[in-house]
Amino acid sequence: MIEVRDLQKDYHVGDHVVHALRGVSLRIDAGEFVTVVGPSGSGKSTFMHILGCLDRPTRGQYLLNDRDVSNLPADELARVRNETIGFVFQGFNLLARTSAIENVELPLLYTRGGALPAAERRDRARRALEIVGLSDREEHHPNQLSGGQQQRVAIARALVNTPRLLLADEPTGNLDTQTSHEVMDVFARLREEHGLTLLLITHERDIAAWGTRTIDFKDGTVSLDRANEPAAPEATFAS
Amino acid sequence: MKRLRAIHPSVDIAVKALTRNRLQTGLTMLGITVGVATVLTMLAVGAGAQRSIEQQVRAAGLNQITVTAGNWKPKVDDTGAAVAHQADAGDTERSPLPRGRVPLPEVADDIALASHPEDNPMEKHDHPLAWQRLGDLEAGLGAAATLTFADAEAIGRLDGVQYVACGVHANARVFQGDKRWFTRMHGTDLQLLDIKRTWTLKYGRFFSDDEQDDAEQVMVLGQVAAEKLFGAENPVGQTVTLWKQPFRIVGVVTSASWVVRPAPGDDEFDAVYMPYTTTHRLLNLTKLNDITVTAASTGEVSAVSKRMSELLRQRHGIGEMQPDDFTISTQATRAITMGGLPPNVASAIAGNVRELERVTLEQLAGTLERSSRTMGWLLAAVAAVSLLVGGIGIMNITLLSVTERTREIGLRLAVGARARDVMRQFLIEATAISLAGGAAGIVVGVLATLTISRTLHWATVVSPGSVLIAFGVAAAVGVFFGWYPARRAAALDPITALRYE
Repeated sequence: MIEVRDLQKDYHVGDHVVHALRGVSLRIDAGEFVTVVGPSGSGKSTFMHILGCLDRPTRGQYLLNDRDVSNLPADELARVRNETIGFVFQGFNLLARTSAIENVELPLLYTRGGALPAAERRDRARRALEIVGLSDREEHHPNQLSGGQQQRVAIARALVNTPRLLLADEPTGNLDTQTSHEVMDVFARLREEHGLTLLLITHERDIAAWGTRTIDFKDGTVSLDRANEPAAPEATFAS
Repeated sequence: MKRLRAIHPSVDIAVKALTRNRLQTGLTMLGITVGVATVLTMLAVGAGAQRSIEQQVRAAGLNQITVTAGNWKPKVDDTGAAVAHQADAGDTERSPLPRGRVPLPEVADDIALASHPEDNPMEKHDHPLAWQRLGDLEAGLGAAATLTFADAEAIGRLDGVQYVACGVHANARVFQGDKRWFTRMHGTDLQLLDIKRTWTLKYGRFFSDDEQDDAEQVMVLGQVAAEKLFGAENPVGQTVTLWKQPFRIVGVVTSASWVVRPAPGDDEFDAVYMPYTTTHRLLNLTKLNDITVTAASTGEVSAVSKRMSELLRQRHGIGEMQPDDFTISTQATRAITMGGLPPNVASAIAGNVRELERVTLEQLAGTLERSSRTMGWLLAAVAAVSLLVGGIGIMNITLLSVTERTREIGLRLAVGARARDVMRQFLIEATAISLAGGAAGIVVGVLATLTISRTLHWATVVSPGSVLIAFGVAAAVGVFFGWYPARRAAALDPITALRYE
């Protein structure tokens, strides 16, 4: 699914050059649930932005589904984001004063060949909301929904254009433990029932334990990459 | 089709974004509204001016021909008989000039007023005397009593003649109660109303066929005379006194044109009109001062003038070598003779310049066009300023919107929007404001135009084309001033935008 080779990213901050990524090489297979942990500034967010085609690496290669996307033009990257990748953010990023279902429809406005017809948009958004269990909240606006529900709407939005890869940047960062687990449960089910590949950034160890594999970032490199015990989530849930 | 489908949701988003800040959006729209309203008004006034110039040119009577009694002619001998100066001692180099042209005098001595009855104090005068016709710049021209009603009737039977009106003119003191007004009296013909196309009846009617045939003492007042004698009230049915005779007022005429406004001393509206038959009866006259004729078509003016000249020469028994005892002038030649030229020079020019009508037509149109163009530029300046200000307002609100919705832009980019999608969205937003403002501006502009034509009596024309132009200008302002903010939105980096607080 994903293969990166010697991925490097430099930022210019004033006169300094910040090496956010100093050569990351790894493979992620389809259907894996990868959690990424690491201190602030370790490069995990930069890594995810490049995987999400929001940014291009300075050096190195990124193959997504065997296609080199490291140096695609901006419009091509937008298409990859639209068709192959779904994003979930820490702050939900739902449009205010816009109903849940309309928020979910958003990616369908930018599909190849223009926006889908309204009826089809509605239909697909409804199905995505069903997957996250919010069919009864279609017409609710974000301010009428709880944090957990908002994040589930955001997940539905990420799912609506049937991506192969779901990227989540601290999706539980703004949620309490209870709702965090509800949201993580949705992610786990997406992998099991829909075969999605997931990459999730967190700095909570118990959330990281939900993944089938956890990657530690430190100073722009991978410091640890290990498979998790399948029983791990239940164990942390108990604690 | 694809494109349309993509635009529809963007319009949706734009409308939603704009209704979020109604007051701001409204105020921004206001600038465009003023600008578009001004553009529309400008076009309406411009088109109106253009149309009324055309009407004025037509109504100014380019098809109008006036025959005045009397003529300038070369030096006379002691007997008072005209001597054709071509017949002067043995000058063989001078060939007879074609009729209708007056030779340019070489020395001032060659010019003298033709002898006519006024020169003889013992003569019984059959027309108002020169001193009675104060204000008549061409006093000398009309001073011979040669034209008759029969002449007018004969002219009326000529080919190409449309209307014929007889005229007898004098100055008059008109009394109404203790008020009196010194004005012009025109004994005229009921066809005058058809000839004067710029006239309209403010009250009542012009005198009728029967009143003219019976030489009744009825009178139509010019608007200025009516105001001086009766103030603002409707004088129809009232009585005034002239020459110690009562006259019943049947109507008031005024100008229907915005170019010609009634003014004291203008000879048209500072005047009173009665049937010429009445003038004849009361003053014991039989001759006419002039005959006003219109040609059925403007192009025929010269031909009709020529026919009239031939007819009158024949009727008056004027020999081949003798000059006319009348003067035929068209509106065009009048424009020149009124221009402050000495009458002899003017008549010489008028007699010799070809296509004079066309020249003066262009001059007249030119003058009117220049003044309406000045007005047009003024309005254009106002429109430009308000559109500029309105456009800056749009730029401002769109920039604000881009800033406020940076995270939204980031999100849209993340879910697959391309830079051009974002750009289009904000362009549509800016254009939506300007089009909404423009639509309001069209309504305001139409109202303003109506107000202008009501209060200032300017001719205005709101054409579908000008509405389209106004709308187009609004759209163009939206696109132009929305471009920069939209460009900025589109250039945002998705990661930076997503992190924007």
